[in-house]
Amino acid sequence: MKARALVRLWSIFGEPLWVFVGMGFPVLSSLAFSLLYYSIGAAGYIGFAVLGGVMVSFWGNVLWSMASQFNWDKQEGLFEIYLTSPASISAILIGMSVGGIIGTVPSAVIVTVLGWALFHPAVNASWGGVALTFGLTLASLYAMGMVLSSLYLTYGREAESMNEVLQEPVSMLSGLYFPVLGGSSPFPLALQAVASLIPLTIGMDALRKTLFYGDSVAQVWPDMAALAVMAVVLLILSSYALKFLENLGRKEGTIAVRIR
Amino acid sequence: MTSLRPILASAWMGIQHDIAWTTPPLSVALRAVAPFASAMTVSIIYWFGTTNSPAGVFSPDHLAFVLVGSTLYAHVASYAWVPTVAIAEGKNLATFPHVYLTSRSTAFYVAGRALSAFVISTITSLSALAVAWYVLGSLIGVQLPLTVTPASIAMLAAALLANIPGALGLGFLLGAYSLYASKFEWSLPGYVAGLLMVFSGALFPTSTLPWPVSAGAYYLPFTQFIAAARDALLPGSADYLASMGLCLLGGGVLLALGLAVYSASERKARKDGVIDRRLA
Repeated sequence: MKARALVRLWSIFGEPLWVFVGMGFPVLSSLAFSLLYYSIGAAGYIGFAVLGGVMVSFWGNVLWSMASQFNWDKQEGLFEIYLTSPASISAILIGMSVGGIIGTVPSAVIVTVLGWALFHPAVNASWGGVALTFGLTLASLYAMGMVLSSLYLTYGREAESMNEVLQEPVSMLSGLYFPVLGGSSPFPLALQAVASLIPLTIGMDALRKTLFYGDSVAQVWPDMAALAVMAVVLLILSSYALKFLENLGRKEGTIAVRIR
Repeated sequence: MTSLRPILASAWMGIQHDIAWTTPPLSVALRAVAPFASAMTVSIIYWFGTTNSPAGVFSPDHLAFVLVGSTLYAHVASYAWVPTVAIAEGKNLATFPHVYLTSRSTAFYVAGRALSAFVISTITSLSALAVAWYVLGSLIGVQLPLTVTPASIAMLAAALLANIPGALGLGFLLGAYSLYASKFEWSLPGYVAGLLMVFSGALFPTSTLPWPVSAGAYYLPFTQFIAAARDALLPGSADYLASMGLCLLGGGVLLALGLAVYSASERKARKDGVIDRRLA
């Protein structure tokens, strides 16, 4: 786990330009949505756009550097090395997650600093709640990335198309830039229930409550409990899925096929 | 005719590459999901902001302005960066060497791939607009204005075509970088999409931006394309003919610049022996 995390960290921080590469869409989309809120007389909600820009960095990392990573590793011939090593694939994925989270932090920090410097969004935070919620959101989000990563083992180049299909709808349903749960949601209850199955939805809702409305841990504990349960369940699910698909791939002889 | 053939061959390859990885109708439907979700996100931000803020004033006309603009920006973003990915992916999958070994410039290949992406993106983004218009109207219970007549469709088609030179020019500029790059080129789509969101007037008028950025953004061919196409569907939102003229003028300049840079870059990449370099 440590080895895989270090590889990821070295690949990012060994080439500082990667930070610049990773921050493009989060910074610009956050800026665009902040300006949209500003232009329609809703400057009070610019903080939502900045927070969305921070979290979209992590969501992008989960999709492109977790879910589809094994496919790229297959193309580069790395996946065979994972398989033949005595390390468990789950440990490698957890290492990848830890490295991904730390590697995405600079992009998230840049979005935050720029957003604050340009728009001074109003914040009324319960920082303990923000920190706990943020940690739990990332844990459950990256656990979801591990599940996707295992499912994508069955895909070839379709994985990238699947990522493109998932990226925007999940961003919308999870309410990266506006609330999707409760009375101010535009979605009907059934759709809110479906959206709640995505860890990012619960996480964003709790983050907005703790960061902008000053809700304490005692007030958002149901969200935190849901995130913790999701993280554990998704971790276990990814372990089973990995084992199952690894065995299937070995039987069918497709596990290390590079391009299909 | 000799130039048309490689462009058409590349365009056909692009269609095969982009939609034949699964059943074509399914592939096209899946490609419409992202612009649909993107348009919904922007529209819901507008709805949420105006209905929950004391200073906000909700207007169906303004919501339609935002909805149409977001679909159009997604359309441009989804095909302007295709040359970059065609080269980068071509290097990784060893198809690009087969292209640059031919007697023609790879610019024909790049143009063909961009044109196929334009056709696919036109279908998917307009489908996304239609679905988003219906879904959004149902969700918030508002009838959104949208003019769909033979004349407005013709005006929209003309605007879409007028944007091709500008998008191709941008594609050539990004492609020129891709010929040399071997890792960072994958970040370009994010930058293209993000820059268009901020500077093309898709989500808010360019006058929202501080001067002189607002003046620069106003004269971008993509800003003028969005203004003209939006005026076709929402009459009165812009001066259609003026926007078309500026779009064609700016697009022509960008195309000439893009072609010149791409050709010079290709010559130098061949000479330096880096045209098929996969790893830095």
